[in-house]
Amino acid sequence: MLTDPAPELLVEVLRGDRDQRPLRDDHSAAGLRATLEDHVFELFGPERRATPTVISSATLRGSGRVSELFDSPLGRARSILIPTVFRLLVAHVHVQDPYDDALAAWRGEHPRDELVELLSHFDHDQVARLRADVHAHYCTLVQGLGPIPSSWLPRTSQRARQLLGGGSVELRDVVDLVVGSTHGVVASVALVDITTSPLGAGAERALRYHALVQTLRTSVVPLRTVAFSSATGELWALDVDHEMLTRSVEDLVEALARKDAPQ
Amino acid sequence: MSLLVQRRLTSGHVADLIAHAPQDVAQVSDDHRASLASRFRAVPPSEHRRLDAWMVEQAGRPPGPFAWSPATARRILGNNALRRLPSVPDTILNAVRDELADQLLRAARGYARPGSLGHWLAGVAHPVLGLITGEAVNWATQVLECAQGIDVEYRVASSDVYFDVAGARTTLRGRRDLIITTDTGRVVVRIRSGQPGKSAGPGLRSDLVVETLAHPDGLAPRRYLGLWPDAGLALGVDGTMENVRAGARDFVRAAVAQRRHGLVRAA
Repeated sequence: MLTDPAPELLVEVLRGDRDQRPLRDDHSAAGLRATLEDHVFELFGPERRATPTVISSATLRGSGRVSELFDSPLGRARSILIPTVFRLLVAHVHVQDPYDDALAAWRGEHPRDELVELLSHFDHDQVARLRADVHAHYCTLVQGLGPIPSSWLPRTSQRARQLLGGGSVELRDVVDLVVGSTHGVVASVALVDITTSPLGAGAERALRYHALVQTLRTSVVPLRTVAFSSATGELWALDVDHEMLTRSVEDLVEALARKDAPQ
Repeated sequence: MSLLVQRRLTSGHVADLIAHAPQDVAQVSDDHRASLASRFRAVPPSEHRRLDAWMVEQAGRPPGPFAWSPATARRILGNNALRRLPSVPDTILNAVRDELADQLLRAARGYARPGSLGHWLAGVAHPVLGLITGEAVNWATQVLECAQGIDVEYRVASSDVYFDVAGARTTLRGRRDLIITTDTGRVVVRIRSGQPGKSAGPGLRSDLVVETLAHPDGLAPRRYLGLWPDAGLALGVDGTMENVRAGARDFVRAAVAQRRHGLVRAA
């Protein structure tokens, strides 16, 4: 299901009506893992590679493209600061100035990170532009997000790492927000990806990838996977089903074949 | 043979690992403790030595200087918040906030010594406190998710376990997050980030040996479980004498390697 650009708050589409949710599916994960293992064996053979081929949501999001405006230093800085300020919002922290607060939080977490180094090389104009940019994205985020109830068990920057082919392939993923528990009778886990780029075909592949990796990690199929663009306010929500996960396996196999192909 | 049990991290598998943990466990005596102490005394340290599973996994390489960060503070804050939950029915977020407020209050009253968590929290900026809150909520939620599949009585560990080796200027530390009590003994759970590497087994055995040595009767837990939610994996070592001995040997090896590193650095 794809919704039109931002007709409602993110929290409203996140979990929907409880009565409409499908039963918890904890059987599909094993089949998906077996299918993936078969594909990896076909591509990589029986030998375990010394260095694993790493796949992340960025690999799938950027399939085929060369470079974009968002790869600029300004875009990179923004793509770090917006998820950071999003984490503050989910923790119900009062944000006074999104740029200063996000930067202070990021510095506190990664004191020697390259972003801090990057910002020190920005001139006044670039800093002012970044500040205005972060403010604009923050406003879009606040308008589209809505308060996330603590009873939904929200966790931010949820990491996942899955090995395939005895360690020849490593799937890495970071989901900006995960809500819901895997222990309910009905599916209740929803995944949210906050992006500072407009949504496109790559974002849809990334949504499917998040759902697949979450399924492999927890062995339970999530309810829904959502992308929100802080650039445009667009909101895409996909209900996770077996067909969607199978498509994600195909995306992944294509990406692996591309990565494995001789340059 | 020392066995490592591996399963997917699902509620069913975790419940199974607990239910089918062996009931015959090792018991260490004073003789065992004295024997271990003599081995550590044979590797004299230049200063007081602290060893834990991480150092065993890193083959005795000395760790870098410790610094508080949202990532290093989340486990203490998250576990303390979880211990508040059964007594006061509330959300995890509020429990974490209460825990943070307690830490800050302790610092404001002058009870927090320099270098402690409370002392560090008192000096960080407001947005960093927000990030720390988020990280602690993440940790607590993760622990709760892991614990929801456990259908027997469990509690969140109030602290890690420590054992001072007599006359060897050595302290061993074992990390633990959940303690599950069954009629026939206890199962201890440790939750970790990332994915288990090749040294995950020795790491778990190291935690097992400290837990056993620190027990008043020297009784090993039935099983020591390591849960890696990021990777969706659960690993376990049984509380057999073989595993306890292997864990103790790994600690002595780590002490030897640490001493060697120290001598190289000094030379």
